[in-house]
Amino acid sequence: MPSLGTLASLKYFLPELTLVLTLLVVVAIDIALRGREDRRLGVILIALAGLVMAGVFTLMLTEAPQGGLFSRMLVLDQFGLLLRFLFILTAILVLLLSVPSRELAGVNQGEFFALLLGVTVSMMWMANSVNLLMIYLALEMVSVGSYIMVGYLKTERLSNEASLKYILFGAVSTGTMLYGLSLLFGLTGTLDLYGIRSALMNETTLAQAGPALLFTVILVFAGIGFKTAAVPFHFWCPDVYTGAPTPVTAFLSVGPKVAGFAVLVRFFFGGMGQPVGDGSWQIVGSVNWQALLIGVSVATMTLGNVAALLQTNLKRLLAYSSIAHAGYILMGAAVLSDEGIQAMLAYMVIYLFMNLGAFLVVMVVYDRLGSFDVKDYGGIWKRSPTLTIAMGIFLLSLMGIPPFAGFLAKFYVFAAVIRAGLAWFAVIGVLNSAVAVFYYMKVLKAMVIEEGTTDDTSRFVLHPVYAGLLVVMLVPNVVGLVLWGYLDQITEYSMKILETL
Amino acid sequence: MIPLEHYLVVSAMLFSLGLLGVLTRKNAVNVLMSIELIFNSANINLVAFSRFVSADFSGQIFAVFVIVIAASEAAVALAIVLSLYRIMRSVNLDEASVLRG
Amino acid sequence: MEELTFQIIFYVFAALVVGSAALVVLGPNLVHSAFALLATFFGVAVFYVLLGADFLAGAQVLIYVGGILVLLLFGVMLTHRIYGVALRTETIQFWPGMAVSVAVLATLIGIIYTTPWRQMGFAAVEGPTTASIGELFMNEYILPFEAASVLLLMALMGAAMIVRRRSDL
Repeated sequence: MPSLGTLASLKYFLPELTLVLTLLVVVAIDIALRGREDRRLGVILIALAGLVMAGVFTLMLTEAPQGGLFSRMLVLDQFGLLLRFLFILTAILVLLLSVPSRELAGVNQGEFFALLLGVTVSMMWMANSVNLLMIYLALEMVSVGSYIMVGYLKTERLSNEASLKYILFGAVSTGTMLYGLSLLFGLTGTLDLYGIRSALMNETTLAQAGPALLFTVILVFAGIGFKTAAVPFHFWCPDVYTGAPTPVTAFLSVGPKVAGFAVLVRFFFGGMGQPVGDGSWQIVGSVNWQALLIGVSVATMTLGNVAALLQTNLKRLLAYSSIAHAGYILMGAAVLSDEGIQAMLAYMVIYLFMNLGAFLVVMVVYDRLGSFDVKDYGGIWKRSPTLTIAMGIFLLSLMGIPPFAGFLAKFYVFAAVIRAGLAWFAVIGVLNSAVAVFYYMKVLKAMVIEEGTTDDTSRFVLHPVYAGLLVVMLVPNVVGLVLWGYLDQITEYSMKILETL
Repeated sequence: MIPLEHYLVVSAMLFSLGLLGVLTRKNAVNVLMSIELIFNSANINLVAFSRFVSADFSGQIFAVFVIVIAASEAAVALAIVLSLYRIMRSVNLDEASVLRG
Repeated sequence: MEELTFQIIFYVFAALVVGSAALVVLGPNLVHSAFALLATFFGVAVFYVLLGADFLAGAQVLIYVGGILVLLLFGVMLTHRIYGVALRTETIQFWPGMAVSVAVLATLIGIIYTTPWRQMGFAAVEGPTTASIGELFMNEYILPFEAASVLLLMALMGAAMIVRRRSDL
């Protein structure tokens, strides 16, 4: 199917249209219900309804023919569908997560949900854009929305500092990326990703322009590395994660990060690479891209794991942990094959449930104890065995220990790496996972064995929304390994990015 | 006419200066100004390439969107700076930043 | 003769742009830096005119000078006591930053002069570009056009929310 024009594309655009409309309705209702008791509830219900409808429309899109939309701005393909669905799911979970949150209790949630919807739509665009302009615009939309969400607690100094650091670092990274995109435009004469690929493949002069291409890609990677918090563009991550309201931190760790990886795959594989036929991809240029990606992956996971060992603040620890997980996901990118993309997708799906689960527990504990510090996690076993067991499952999954889903995620990535002939790379991944065990266990140990810092020994009573979410996050972690067949099917379907337009 | 490379060199200088400002300046508003320099340098690139390399106006269109994005980012950034200033004014300014690196 | 005029204009404004940018980045006085930035923006607008992008030059002046710069000046005036918000643990000294910046500049200049840029020659469209750009916005680029409006909505809402004093709105 060739690319569709504006009017014809609209019927394949229903999820995004729904979300934008919901955003507008949320803002309107928020104003209309000002001062009334049911303001919060009304806004929550509308946002949820919109998200669910968008999810249904996304499922309906699986029947749609693949091809370009809106004059080659977006693309409709198998890769994008899973990601769309994932983003909607992330938004629903984060929305529910923020409802009972103590941190967000005093602030207006209508605008928060509007921003969440806006960022979700933008993430969907990020994952489906095949035009440099659209990629950049969507990326900036996600970023700007995130900057505001991080600084939402405007009376808290921590929140403000975090959002200032975030926006300054982010603007520099995306500005650098923009400079790189402009150079790429200059090298190829077009903004269309597929056009760029043909230009890069057919022109012998561009083969001579080796250093230019390398430098350009490094500049572009500044923006992508920023969004995925990969080394050396990860510096904002610990501070921002610590200072932001925890629901926002949870969202940042799974939403924009996954969108960043989607851009990486589209840009690298779709815009600069060609499938060779046996499942592996060949990237243009005489540069050893694989070595570059491996280097970044190793640096990212190692830095994340080692730095996490030193942390006592749970949010900071989980920030470094998420940096490490980005390193594992990059392993999937580094093998330059369809299998690698499949591994990345599988990891990202499972990671959503592991990471959000851990943050959910952090939020419950904070709401009750008012602290994010590991030493205040002592004695929780006595106060809420359910919570401790749940956290244990999430942590074990993050560690990659069977029989939990996290093991499956790591297995996918390591298997792809080994099958590509890079066994030593997999060994580094395994070693890193071993290191990670120490800091995850530190948290679990505190909860089970150590004594609490307060004299209060009353039981935790879980807010029903929290309890419901806990079940929702636990189920995939527990049965994930058993249902690996389904995951395999879905990711194998989704690993295909549209090759030509 | 003025060759393409001349424009590119000017924008490269702007980019480097912007980078220098971001790396060395301590005042948040000053860093923001340096970021605007970076955006402008990329824009010059886009328009110059649009004129010399591509057959259409796509570079110029991209530049318009960059201006729009830069405006919204500047607005949000200044809002955050103001908000932080409001809080810190009542706190000792010499105190080290609460968030470590 | 005309050729020479254009060259003179280019070099004069190139010097202006780079010189004022240097003042922005290196100058000790923040208000001076803000006004130097004004000169930079105007200089860039002149470049756009030289490159035939008249609509863009107008947009640059209207939005950058008329909007962003005014906003920055407000920011400077309202927060002239804010300093020392450390961006990293260790404060980066001047010379390492300078070294990085010079290295990047050298690399870029090397790339600029060694890459065989494919040039179509200066036979591109002369004359006003506004109509063509307008048409493109409504046809090929309508999706980013509409998406940008969502961006502006988010930014407006967000900035207003952060800055307003009443928290019950």
